[in-house]
Amino acid sequence: MKTKIREENGALIVSFEGDVDLQSSPDTRKALLDAVGQGKAVFADLSGVGYIDSSGVASLVEAFQKAKSQNNKFILISVSENARRVLELARLDKVFTICDSISDALDT
Amino acid sequence: MNETLSNQKTGETTADILTLLAEMGQQFAATHDIGSALNYAIEHIARYVGAEGGSLFMLEDDDSHLCCRACYGEVDIVGVCINADQGIVGHCVETLSSEIVRDVKTDHRFHKGVDEQSGFVTRSILCAPLSVKGESFGAIELINKCSGDNLFDTADLTLLSTLANSAALAIANARMAEKLVEQERLARELELAAEIQRSLLPDGNEGLPVWGANIPARTVSGDFFDYFEMDDGRIVFNLGDVSGKGMNAALLMAKTISLFRCLSKSIEHPGRLLGLINTEICDTSTRGMFVTMVGGIYDPATGRLRISNAGHEPPLVRDVHGNYRSLPAEAPPLGIDPDLTAKNGFPVANVDLDGGSFYLFTDGVTEGYVGEGEMLGSDGVLKIIDGSIAEDISVQLQRIVSIISESGIALRDDLTVLGISDGPPKACRSETMRKISPPDKLVTKDMKKCDILASIKTCSSPDRLKLIRNVVHDGAAIAGFARDIIPDIVLAVDEACQNVIRHAYDGRTDGEIEVALYSDGGSLIIEISDQAPHIDPATIKHRDLDDIRPGGLGTYLMEETMDLVQYRPVAENKGNILRMVKTIF
Repeated sequence: MKTKIREENGALIVSFEGDVDLQSSPDTRKALLDAVGQGKAVFADLSGVGYIDSSGVASLVEAFQKAKSQNNKFILISVSENARRVLELARLDKVFTICDSISDALDT
Repeated sequence: MNETLSNQKTGETTADILTLLAEMGQQFAATHDIGSALNYAIEHIARYVGAEGGSLFMLEDDDSHLCCRACYGEVDIVGVCINADQGIVGHCVETLSSEIVRDVKTDHRFHKGVDEQSGFVTRSILCAPLSVKGESFGAIELINKCSGDNLFDTADLTLLSTLANSAALAIANARMAEKLVEQERLARELELAAEIQRSLLPDGNEGLPVWGANIPARTVSGDFFDYFEMDDGRIVFNLGDVSGKGMNAALLMAKTISLFRCLSKSIEHPGRLLGLINTEICDTSTRGMFVTMVGGIYDPATGRLRISNAGHEPPLVRDVHGNYRSLPAEAPPLGIDPDLTAKNGFPVANVDLDGGSFYLFTDGVTEGYVGEGEMLGSDGVLKIIDGSIAEDISVQLQRIVSIISESGIALRDDLTVLGISDGPPKACRSETMRKISPPDKLVTKDMKKCDILASIKTCSSPDRLKLIRNVVHDGAAIAGFARDIIPDIVLAVDEACQNVIRHAYDGRTDGEIEVALYSDGGSLIIEISDQAPHIDPATIKHRDLDDIRPGGLGTYLMEETMDLVQYRPVAENKGNILRMVKTIF
């Protein structure tokens, strides 16, 4: 799995490419928590996520809660079909803010 | 008697007509066959008036037609129907007046249709309506006078009118009697239907920790509940309410409860089960009827409950400390939207009763009257439960039912309740209790009869998970699963393997994990085995989805995506075996 971070209009966009599983989720978790730790809005781009498991979802939840406690935005963008399915199964699709694009996320 | 009748107008008319009227009345009163009484009437009236032929027409088909139901004379026209506004008969019925067409040649109202059909030559007609209390339901028509110039006169018309009036009264009475008999028959049939319906409900809990009751507001009910024990000791249950209360609701109830009972023997995922029933009801339901329903499975060995709620009043869970929470429906009632039957069916909620209890009602309970204008309400229900929590579940529910059914106020709606009472909380369950696990139905499954699709043995390292996922992906494809279902199966196996790595091996990466995929034609069976220390399945935590926090999701995802997730009994120090089943449909 590859992780990339870039900044756009004051928001940190963390994008993942590949499988977020037990092996890679520690990296996912670290990347997300580091980004949230910078005190900026964080958009997790899940367009390239071919697979995500409960440990990956747990990383997203943890980052989401941390951002919330700091009153910062944490938004999932371009969620791939596979990732959306797992979020739905976990009933988290209503918990996260999910946007189709960066510009939509900036507008929220 | 016939001789007396043919002596009309020879001096004893009054006595004769009285005799005829009395005879006719008796015929109608005594008969169960209106048809033969009508024949008697038309024959005797025609002969008494001295007509060649006569026919008796009745309004039928929502009063749109007049059909000949009895006739006398050379030509038989029984069964012939004309439009209700046609001909002399139609005119008589419409205007409630008697008519004479002394000579048809000079009267345009004469409808030639019947003559054309029968070959009879009509010369003169008398017609009188059959009416009671200003409402006509037919007419008597006489054709051609036997004597003289073959034409009727007004004296004949007066005579026919008198006779027709009496005949009408007799016919109306006979029809009413027939209707009463029919109503009685329907009531008997309704009672039979109610008996059949009662037989669809379980008749005793036979020592199970579940109890239910149904009291119909009318003879038959649109409510239902059911429960039964599976071979492995788990209890399948449901409770529902069909929109409406009459026979149509009872029939849909019968269909729903039967579908549930039948399908629940092969599909153990309540959400998928309700999804299938939804499709079935949507396909065949009429008049916008729908069903609100909760279906679920309870495992007395672990205290775990899985339910799916389709638009029904939220079930209540009471924990051992007396705190309540409700489980609102996450999906609409069954029979409304066929598209809702997605691949995984209706949403499922998992509940750990852990010594608590579970209650299901229909709105007849919460909206039931316990006094003048006073409804029981949810608060009233809770009060009764709290007050009788030390009693058996059946006693608790009986109290709720009786406070409404014995309030002296007629039931507005069917009353239906179902409750489950979990054993002692897990912490108090003795070791022996935990070990007495019910016979595992899967153990009896002969795996030798199943095809092995794939098998992989690898080490308990996270970097092998992708390999396992690939094997499962391809195995599920070979088993015949649709492309959109396969990721769910892959996820479930991956989560199970993670549990093995993280919990059974406690993070050790040198352990052994084996994943084997079998197919028995209809379903995919996956076994995940390890050599780690034995783990008591009852101690495995299930995450409560209302509690948004990282972690604890894996087991939930496995149960959400697979039809069955079950730990198999394994001899001590022989590791753990988890079996998961997914049915192809």
